[in-house]
Amino acid sequence: MSFFAGYGPLAELALLNMVLAFSQYIVLRAGVFSLGSAAFAAVGAYAAAILATRYGVPPALCMVIALVAGGFFGAIVAVPLARLRGVFQALATLALVQIVLSLALNWTSLTDGALGINSIPKAVHITEAAIAVVVVAYFLHVIGMSGIGRGFDIIREDETVAVSLGYDVRKHHMIAFVLSGAIAGLGGAMHAFSSYSITPNEFGFHMVVMLLAMVVLGGRVSIFGPIVGALILTGLPELLRGFQDYRSIMQGALLMLSITFLPRGIVDTVLGRLRHRSLSRGASAKDRDGVTI
Amino acid sequence: MLEVSGLSVSYSGIRALKDVSLTVGKGEIFALIGPNGAGKSTLLNTLSGMVQAQTGHARFDGVELIGRPAHRIARAGLIQVPEGRQVIAPLTVRENLELGRIAAGTRSGDRNALDRVHDLFPVLAERRTQLAGSLSGGQQQMLAIGRALMGAPRILLLDEPSLGLAPVIVREVFDALLRLNASGLTILLVEQNAKLALETAHHAAILEMGRVVMRGTAADLAHDPLVVDHYLGRTEETA
Repeated sequence: MSFFAGYGPLAELALLNMVLAFSQYIVLRAGVFSLGSAAFAAVGAYAAAILATRYGVPPALCMVIALVAGGFFGAIVAVPLARLRGVFQALATLALVQIVLSLALNWTSLTDGALGINSIPKAVHITEAAIAVVVVAYFLHVIGMSGIGRGFDIIREDETVAVSLGYDVRKHHMIAFVLSGAIAGLGGAMHAFSSYSITPNEFGFHMVVMLLAMVVLGGRVSIFGPIVGALILTGLPELLRGFQDYRSIMQGALLMLSITFLPRGIVDTVLGRLRHRSLSRGASAKDRDGVTI
Repeated sequence: MLEVSGLSVSYSGIRALKDVSLTVGKGEIFALIGPNGAGKSTLLNTLSGMVQAQTGHARFDGVELIGRPAHRIARAGLIQVPEGRQVIAPLTVRENLELGRIAAGTRSGDRNALDRVHDLFPVLAERRTQLAGSLSGGQQQMLAIGRALMGAPRILLLDEPSLGLAPVIVREVFDALLRLNASGLTILLVEQNAKLALETAHHAAILEMGRVVMRGTAADLAHDPLVVDHYLGRTEETA
């Protein structure tokens, strides 16, 4: 139990990061190059924090509202952004993060500016975070197995083929944005209820890079990709505590190594190899059967 | 079944199609032939909604296709097999085929589509658990056609199905197209190999510089001296 006592806060942080990483994961899975998860998380976090501290709304209700607000915000930005592709989509969503960030900084009557919002009740502990991860992961798993998930996969691999077979690319991109917004809204709110206070800078470029790194490192097809990515990139700074000054360098080097040698991410590369092996074993077994018959 | 009239398409000021008109009848194979850059693929892509036309009409059983989004055209039953085969490499053969099912939508609940594709291309049944990327070029072409068939097309558009395939494989693919046609499927085919196309099709049109310069029954075109000269070659007597 002393292990959990020491590492409890770290595990809680890793779980909360997983929720945010799911938001980044679902857009990348659909072939949408959105970096907007940080903006959606900010919307959710501020909505929840303001409702809880000023209006005394119960935390659970705040989180539901944050989820809806994030999804709604995702739907609004999806209208113009689902038309864009690739690097333009990345830049536009990055601009969105900047806009939300400056709103949080400068709309002081609502957000208290750079001071952030403090004395948010602590409503999210490791249990709540774990439940959220399981629920969101299960939900995304079900979607991934459905027709929508198949649509995401084929659109990501080849948009022309997808359209020629009757897949509505725009609709799928909209769905991805809404899911990403809702999940990040929930993740942001849980972060607020976990850490007592939020400040605008938490939802800036650093978070964009962190979430992207988690999904790229972990993998963007299997649902376990963002889980593994969040686990590694949350735990790594603690393991490297001895090298405090070189932490960022180590993280950057890890990311570069993984992109070079595991371009599909840790989980998808491993699963791909296992699958390939079982497929080829199945095929050769069939060949042998063929000979004996 | 498919009536194209006065269709014009430009890419950034350059006319790719000029006033193209043609009619594809129900149950026939219609071939579009012509040199590189004549606009054959542009015509297919315009019909399937990938390219937007400036003027003209394309009516599919009386329904206007021009201006419709591509995915809705596919769901209406006009399904294109894109050039270059484009199978989804990291998925298995079976999974690739299943992807094609969505175009059928509510239009037709054909539970036997997979069996019929397997009958047509037995190799796809043998390799159903293999990754599509590990197939040969010919098998990938069969998979691309099979995937389109899963969507229960009413008309199948093919863009250069013989591209980069060995002659024996080309024969196999075209035999399959003939069998599909015999079972009632309408086919619109773009093909560089004019001889093969005219042997396979009922009607054909020749496209040059974005215009239809000739059109008629495939047999007539195959014996037209100009066509023989330009597209079939004078020394074709061995065939």
